[in-house]
Amino acid sequence: MNIGIAGIGLVGRVLALNLLRQGHTLTLFDEDAAYGDKAAGMTAAGMLAVFAELESAESVIFEHGNRSIVLWPDLLEQVGISDAYQQTGSIITAHPQDYNELDHFIETLKSKVPEASEIKLLDRRELTQLEPDLAQHAKAFFIPQEGQVDAQRFMQASSYYLMRHDKVKWHQNTKVSDISSGSIVIEKKVHHFDWVFDARGLGANEQVENLRGVRGEVLWLDAPEVNITRPTRMLHPRYKIYIVPRENNRYVIGATEIESEDKSSVSVRSSLELLSAVYSMHSGFGEARIVKMLTNCRPTLRDNLPKIEHGEKTTRINGLYRHGYLLAPAIVEKALKEGVLK
Amino acid sequence: MTKFIEAQADTWEIGGKTLNSRLLIGSALYPSPANMEEAIKISGAQIVTVSLRRQAAGDTTSKGGNQFWDIIKSIGIEVLPNTAGSHSAKEAITTAQMAREVFGTNWVKLEVIGDQYNLQPDPFETVKAAEILIKEGFEVFPYTTDDLVVAKRLADVGCKIIMPWGSMIGSGKGLMNPDNLLAIRKQFPELKLIIDAGIGKPSHATQAMELGYDGVLLNSAIALAQDPVKMADAFRVSVEAGRLGYEAGVMKEREFASPSTPTVGTPFWHQFKD
Repeated sequence: MNIGIAGIGLVGRVLALNLLRQGHTLTLFDEDAAYGDKAAGMTAAGMLAVFAELESAESVIFEHGNRSIVLWPDLLEQVGISDAYQQTGSIITAHPQDYNELDHFIETLKSKVPEASEIKLLDRRELTQLEPDLAQHAKAFFIPQEGQVDAQRFMQASSYYLMRHDKVKWHQNTKVSDISSGSIVIEKKVHHFDWVFDARGLGANEQVENLRGVRGEVLWLDAPEVNITRPTRMLHPRYKIYIVPRENNRYVIGATEIESEDKSSVSVRSSLELLSAVYSMHSGFGEARIVKMLTNCRPTLRDNLPKIEHGEKTTRINGLYRHGYLLAPAIVEKALKEGVLK
Repeated sequence: MTKFIEAQADTWEIGGKTLNSRLLIGSALYPSPANMEEAIKISGAQIVTVSLRRQAAGDTTSKGGNQFWDIIKSIGIEVLPNTAGSHSAKEAITTAQMAREVFGTNWVKLEVIGDQYNLQPDPFETVKAAEILIKEGFEVFPYTTDDLVVAKRLADVGCKIIMPWGSMIGSGKGLMNPDNLLAIRKQFPELKLIIDAGIGKPSHATQAMELGYDGVLLNSAIALAQDPVKMADAFRVSVEAGRLGYEAGVMKEREFASPSTPTVGTPFWHQFKD
């Protein structure tokens, strides 16, 4: 089939990779350049926190998240970066004055999925064995099923793969103005396809009802004195902060969550919160270097859950919110099974 | 029970509005806006508080917090913007002015924080801001501690409403100092008093209403419950129960057991044996 995809962010790429495996011919449209950084998937930390995200999400996330964890290795292999996948578990901890947050966290998870009762509470000795650099924390949960995808490597490798693929034509810096029944409109010119996908995220806000952007701010730090190997989350009464380790002692620190469709630079308050949180977690962050400070907006629907919508020769996928990497492979698989590949 | 309340049609007035519900609800920390909307509807609350400080800052060319605020407005109940996140009178006043424009209301929940970690209000800055805001025509709902003298200062500068905490924000510990709260109630029978912050369980809200407070404002207790919608319903009932209890007049406590039915057949000298 001859298929058009509008929006080549994370969902658009996962769609493209799946459709190429089925032998389809693809035309891609995105308002950004192939190696641009506008997509929310470029800012994401890529955590596969199938349990931890349940603290503030519905249990359907758990089902899709588990499926995505199964699907990611093949996608990464397809674009030649199998080593961009890590599944060695994650750590959830808190400062002693906030230990109640750990109780609240686990009780909430248990109320959503019975599997959460198997999550193990580590004492200082066990935690030190697992992550020596977190030795100052006396209490933490360890979730062995969780992991991460190196989001930026995936975005880069998938661009490279799709740009060179002979069944792909990528229209870069091309803004789509409308999508309906098998056609994609670019500046009044209509492109016809056997099927079209709308994966534009916030770019689709004129056609998707109740879509909003939720601002997130992220810092990248190079911290040679810190050796944390697993995604680590610190619970706090007012904000949730995670530290996601990348190669060469680089750490992605995130993320704020502000109900505002505002992509302006990181605020002083947010950077103070994020930096003081990581510094209190490990004093080695004191001498870290701030490599980048990024802001983006998560495409989000009213119930904070993803939505797949099928129309005539058209499928729209949107609203992956803060769960892009956790959900994209499973949601795309579901959409393809229900729609074009039925 | 519900029928009885409807028959009574208990209404009260605050900030120039006549309302039925004495529960004021917050709009933060819910699993999703859809869940929040459902919880607020079930709670029966007719006033919803909303924060706009961090949402409104930044890129003025973008849509800012508009979409989330539109959701709040679409619920169709009174909006009480708050100045959460302000650390000085000046910041709070700027936020209040912004809120007046965004929500088209002169109501403002004045919240000036004095301690970054536990979010304890700064009474000095709160009184200062309240005085200025009242002069600018705002209906000020000041969040304060349970300190009687601070309440007095707020009343002195013209506050018609005072909102002492039950305990620290988000702590869920309930009414830490009912005696202080009662003292404020007795001192200011003419003011509208609302317990704001610290409520964790429905019984805390009932207790607050039994003290004769006019209303209860809460957020975390509902939003962080495992089922916020069900908890919203629980608070609706508990606030009604406390108010009815207050109106009905609670019996005085006694220092000894006093059976309500005479224990016929037991000689009186045996009744007091233990």
